[in-house]
Amino acid sequence: MKPFAAFASSIAVLAADNIDTDQIIPARFLKTTTKEGLGLQLFHDWRYGKDGAAKADFPLNQPAAAGAEVLVGGDNFGCGSSREHAPLSIKASGVSAVVARSFARIFYRNAVNLGLPVIRCADLYDAVQDGDEVVVDTEHGTIVAGGRTFQGEAPSAVARRISEAGSLVELIKNHGWAAIEEVV
Amino acid sequence: MTAQTLYDKIWSEHIVAQRPQEPVLLYIDLQLVHEVTSPQAFEGLRQRGLKVRRPDRTIATIDHSIPTSDRSLPIADPIAARQVAQLGVNCAEFGLPLCAPGSGHQGVVHVFSPELGLIQPGMTLVCGDSHTATHGAFGVLAFGIGTSQVEMVLATQCLLQQPSRNLRVNVTGRLRPGVTAKDVILALIAQIGVGGGTGCVIEYAGEAIRNLSMEGRMTIANMSIEAGARAGLMAPDEVTFAYLKGRPFAPKGADWDAAVARWRTYASDPDALFDQEVTLDGSALEPMITFGTNPAMGIGITGSVPEPARMAAGVERDGLVKALAYMGMTAGQAILGHPIDLVFVGSCTNGRIEDLRAAAGVLKGRKVAPNVRALIVPGSEVVKRAAEAEGLDRIFLAAGAEWREPGCSMCLAMNGDMLQPGQTCVATSNRNFEGRQGPGGRTLLASPITAAASAVRGAVADPRSLA
Repeated sequence: MKPFAAFASSIAVLAADNIDTDQIIPARFLKTTTKEGLGLQLFHDWRYGKDGAAKADFPLNQPAAAGAEVLVGGDNFGCGSSREHAPLSIKASGVSAVVARSFARIFYRNAVNLGLPVIRCADLYDAVQDGDEVVVDTEHGTIVAGGRTFQGEAPSAVARRISEAGSLVELIKNHGWAAIEEVV
Repeated sequence: MTAQTLYDKIWSEHIVAQRPQEPVLLYIDLQLVHEVTSPQAFEGLRQRGLKVRRPDRTIATIDHSIPTSDRSLPIADPIAARQVAQLGVNCAEFGLPLCAPGSGHQGVVHVFSPELGLIQPGMTLVCGDSHTATHGAFGVLAFGIGTSQVEMVLATQCLLQQPSRNLRVNVTGRLRPGVTAKDVILALIAQIGVGGGTGCVIEYAGEAIRNLSMEGRMTIANMSIEAGARAGLMAPDEVTFAYLKGRPFAPKGADWDAAVARWRTYASDPDALFDQEVTLDGSALEPMITFGTNPAMGIGITGSVPEPARMAAGVERDGLVKALAYMGMTAGQAILGHPIDLVFVGSCTNGRIEDLRAAAGVLKGRKVAPNVRALIVPGSEVVKRAAEAEGLDRIFLAAGAEWREPGCSMCLAMNGDMLQPGQTCVATSNRNFEGRQGPGGRTLLASPITAAASAVRGAVADPRSLA
């Protein structure tokens, strides 16, 4: 996680609108009572076949996008369930930011609360492909790709404070409930 | 005083603190808890030495991970068993009421709570579950939250929230025979899309809504999230009050009269302004069914599957091509007669007594086709008892359907009730996402009567053909 620093990474493009929480992590993996290990099941049914072998055509399995810390998606990313396991599994897998044309609202709020930078950006999606190198500035919501700068939505003051602390829970743990009163 | 919408009224009554350009700190009247989205929140409280601030404003049940087969047996899946046991430990430690299996009130979190009379007009309500929108049917501002927020509400009974925009959906006219609340909401989502309500709270109004029972209203409010809306609302009326009267947590005596007088104020002012308005002609609707992999991919039951070739190139067409391939559908095919393997009647959308009566009405004196397995899963222990008292269980069993124990079951395939890859299921639940009912499984969303008619025909069927 790289809160509020610009960082360079390759990207993985999930070329679809309405990517739902059951794709991000299928419900059958949610029987856990801890936050550990959820990264392993990220996009499980898109990523692995019935035999458990990695599907070569899935972006995160392609060599070009290996180690990508930035996911790029279309409209209404994260629609469906309110389960926090979805952004948690993205964060736990080593992804440092998600850039999408738009986000489903509960997913967006959950990501903010977990300190996973999420940037709404209308134009990046159509301009990039798997494995492209980008520089993401999560503080200002900008993404540089192929020499072009794409202006996404900068995080709110609350989102910034949560992300700096690591998560909503960390923020409150470290600063007490006064931290919430400060931003409200 | 400026005219207010129903949403504005509930929102403004619950503001604890507010500063310009920042989220509002909102008071929450009631939190519902289930086993999947709460353990990490309780662990957070424990680590920080915090208590639950209002155990009397919090209530738990078990629904997602619990088997719907014989309850006298231990839970076979050790991970699910641990999760279920953990909720019991957490409720005991933090002093919360738990409607566990066998208590007489266990059920799907959005079914058991209205039955108790806990859901009352004008409240704010949250739960770590997106279908919390269900309770908007009572004129309650109810929405799903993530586990970090569950923890925050447990600790403070408050939540940081941004205000939403007001979207009113007017469903005009009278629904025709065979057309149900489920068809209304599937038609709406097909019209406005899965992102059509993003950033909004939907208020449902109009003759077709007013004429629905509370069960029907809950079906519609439940799926507000499938249009991307924060919540769905309906103004309480005589139907609401009649439903609530005499329930265990409903006010009694003079308190009841005072409560009803207050509840009547929860309606949008006649000149209130909405950011957006949508009209749906209820009298023109036919039974709906989905063919694709999101709830907006729905058509009338006599319709045909859309053809990507007729669409402009782009991400929407690509999405349709991918959905049809996943679903094993052919562009342009009629949906009637499409082969199916299973029928699932249940869930927080359509697992209430009225839904079971409707399905039983179709199955009575008929048989489930030999190629179909039909699961009937009551939404709660209360629903199960009521259905058995009316003899609905015997109708289902005589038809060759399975009569199961209450839970979320095959809505999201967490508990072992699931499709095999390639199987197609007509389901009364709320999501047809890829793999929702099991990896490789294919889901067609429809009403209880469409599901029951399809079970009898052994393929997608028009419920009006069996009326």
